[in-house]
Amino acid sequence: MTLSIYLIGLNHKTAPVEVREKFALTGVCPPPEDLPADASPDAHAPASPDAPPPALFPVGKFLKEVVVLSTCNRVEVLAVGPGRDTVEAVLERWAGLKGATADELRPYVYIHEQLDAVQHLFCVASSLDSMVLGEPQILGQLKDAYRKAVAQNATGVICNRLLHKAFSVAKRVRTETAIGGSAVSISYAAVELAKRIFGEMQDRNAMLIGAGEMAELAATHLLTSGIQKIFVANRTLERAVHLAEQFRGEAVAFDMLHERLHEVDIIISSTGAPTAILKAKDLKPVLKKRRNRPMFFIDIAVPRDIDPDVNNLDNVYLYDIDDLNEVVEENLAQRQGEAVKARGIVAQEAVKFGIWLKSLDLTPTIKDLLEQGRELGRRELAKTLKRIKSNGKAHDDADVELALEMLVDSLVRKLYCQPITFLKRRAEEEDSARRYIDITRRMFNLDDESVPPDAHQDRRLPREGCGACNHVESGD
Amino acid sequence: MSLFAYAYLLIVLAYLGATGLSLFGALRRRPGLRRAAVRVAFGGFLLHTMLLGHFFATETIPEWSAGVYLKMLSWCVLAVSFVLWHRLRWDFLSLMVSPVALLLFASSITHAQGTVQMPKALHGVFFALHIGVLFASIALLAVACGAGLLFVHQERKIKTKVRLAGFLQDMPGLSALDRVNHWAVCLGFPLFTLGMLTGFVFARMTWGKMLSADPKEFMSLTIWALFAWLFYGRLFLDWRGRRPAKMAMLLFALAVVSIAGVNFFLQSHHGLMERP
Repeated sequence: MTLSIYLIGLNHKTAPVEVREKFALTGVCPPPEDLPADASPDAHAPASPDAPPPALFPVGKFLKEVVVLSTCNRVEVLAVGPGRDTVEAVLERWAGLKGATADELRPYVYIHEQLDAVQHLFCVASSLDSMVLGEPQILGQLKDAYRKAVAQNATGVICNRLLHKAFSVAKRVRTETAIGGSAVSISYAAVELAKRIFGEMQDRNAMLIGAGEMAELAATHLLTSGIQKIFVANRTLERAVHLAEQFRGEAVAFDMLHERLHEVDIIISSTGAPTAILKAKDLKPVLKKRRNRPMFFIDIAVPRDIDPDVNNLDNVYLYDIDDLNEVVEENLAQRQGEAVKARGIVAQEAVKFGIWLKSLDLTPTIKDLLEQGRELGRRELAKTLKRIKSNGKAHDDADVELALEMLVDSLVRKLYCQPITFLKRRAEEEDSARRYIDITRRMFNLDDESVPPDAHQDRRLPREGCGACNHVESGD
Repeated sequence: MSLFAYAYLLIVLAYLGATGLSLFGALRRRPGLRRAAVRVAFGGFLLHTMLLGHFFATETIPEWSAGVYLKMLSWCVLAVSFVLWHRLRWDFLSLMVSPVALLLFASSITHAQGTVQMPKALHGVFFALHIGVLFASIALLAVACGAGLLFVHQERKIKTKVRLAGFLQDMPGLSALDRVNHWAVCLGFPLFTLGMLTGFVFARMTWGKMLSADPKEFMSLTIWALFAWLFYGRLFLDWRGRRPAKMAMLLFALAVVSIAGVNFFLQSHHGLMERP
């Protein structure tokens, strides 16, 4: 039976937020009739906290493997099945879970098949399909989705391989391109600029003057980057106290602002004041008190809170909302440029995956196995003949060489005869062929892959006290 | 080819490799390549140390050529940068230092003939206290100059709100670059002063007078005065950022003029022109 890969999904480009909300699969439970039979008699017993949630798309006749990814911007179902019936089964089940019909769902979904599906998944993992290009969360979400599918026994040879490949492609894209290199939100751009000025943030203090969503977000980013303390100054002291509690910082009365300014390195200002609240002449004594240590002002208020002349002072840096917007736009443009490079990597990896997919048939595997064996045998034979010649026991008999080559080839065929017969028998069975072919390819490394030393670390036995390992390593 | 010729070739190749790797690593933003550059430079530095150790052990000072002094200077520049690297782990240091070390070491090979005459009385302690200490302070100035260049360039970009493109995004922040300047000035000025003082003391012992209207003396006193001003400004006037960065660059430029111009081209008792 030939299995195909399908990716059925909707995202921020194909469906408005109401539709995405309606068909989201986060926190959805399958209907009771789909739950395993042994669950019903003791329905009131508390479920084990380690037990995986029941599968939303049960594996069956039309669905051999399935992974479900559901985030606020996309819902995608990666399915492996025998043909177009798989797509219909997924659509009906998906709509059914949300109390709708497949026809209601169909206009908003995209359906990718085989290598298109592979390429799309690689793009999603590498954050090339995200609303904010290059954002890092999607990879973690995909990993969670895969972990859940594995726990539900819903993955097999193809999904396992495909998802692992998607993770490594995403890693390659991050390493080889600057897709996630620079900030694309105003608050994060401000924090990145602060890092360019101060380097390590551990010993730095920041002050929020006024409050607002963007200022609070910037303060949160600063805290995440390790800043020591946040002061909050606000005209309403209660609001300042409330915010300071939120950031585990200190509230400062607005009248005391100038007196406390020398204690802080980064100032985020977003008051509703009609005129500037901080001028260059106000900062000269502050800088003197700070012994000229640098200060960074982030003015996100409109009209501006901080006089632009402040930027002309030595060791003082000022960015207003327009400057930050410009930084973000330039960074976005740079990410777009990097995305072209990243798509090249994705296309290249998708082609490689296609080659592996084709090799899952029996004939190419047998061919690869025999070729590998023959090549190994010939290589060893060449080494032996060279050694014989270097020992001075030259022989010029081409017939002997030919006979030895035939011997090696025949030995290889005999050695692989049993494994090949085994594979042929498994290929006649419906479900196990791909699994055994995949194991064979991995066991003999027919795809010439390098395995990282920390692969499957969690599954390994502890090495301490392993007498057998010590024995092997010592070379005894 | 003798063993020494192989050692010279290996050291030049190591510094050349480190320069290439650090440049490529910076432009392509590959930290692995930049770290490799530091390792390659360190390999060259070890061989360089052995070579100098051999000179100290086997050759007497009057037989040294100008090349040995250049080798010592390039060794000092690298030693200072490796101490900094050990403390700060900035792999970009290799980008600043490897080309300087390469240039100095390669020119030392072209100045390997002939000897520089030095009065016998000045061979022992004088050598360490005058030349060693001054070379160390010049090496500190070289690092401060590199950090200053980066500081001025980055600061201008941040002040004028121009995006930091490419490898500049991987460079340390302004405060860290300023800290390098602080350490280089705080350590470099006392060393420079000690080097100058020992020079005057030994001049008095050897020639009977401290000053002899030598062009090197004039240059060194000018550098010392500027260095003193910078040292005072950093410690007592809270100078930070652009001003000390620019001054360190100026001081290093004067030191280069002093070495390249006075030692090699003018008649002076500090002359390193070869005498066959």
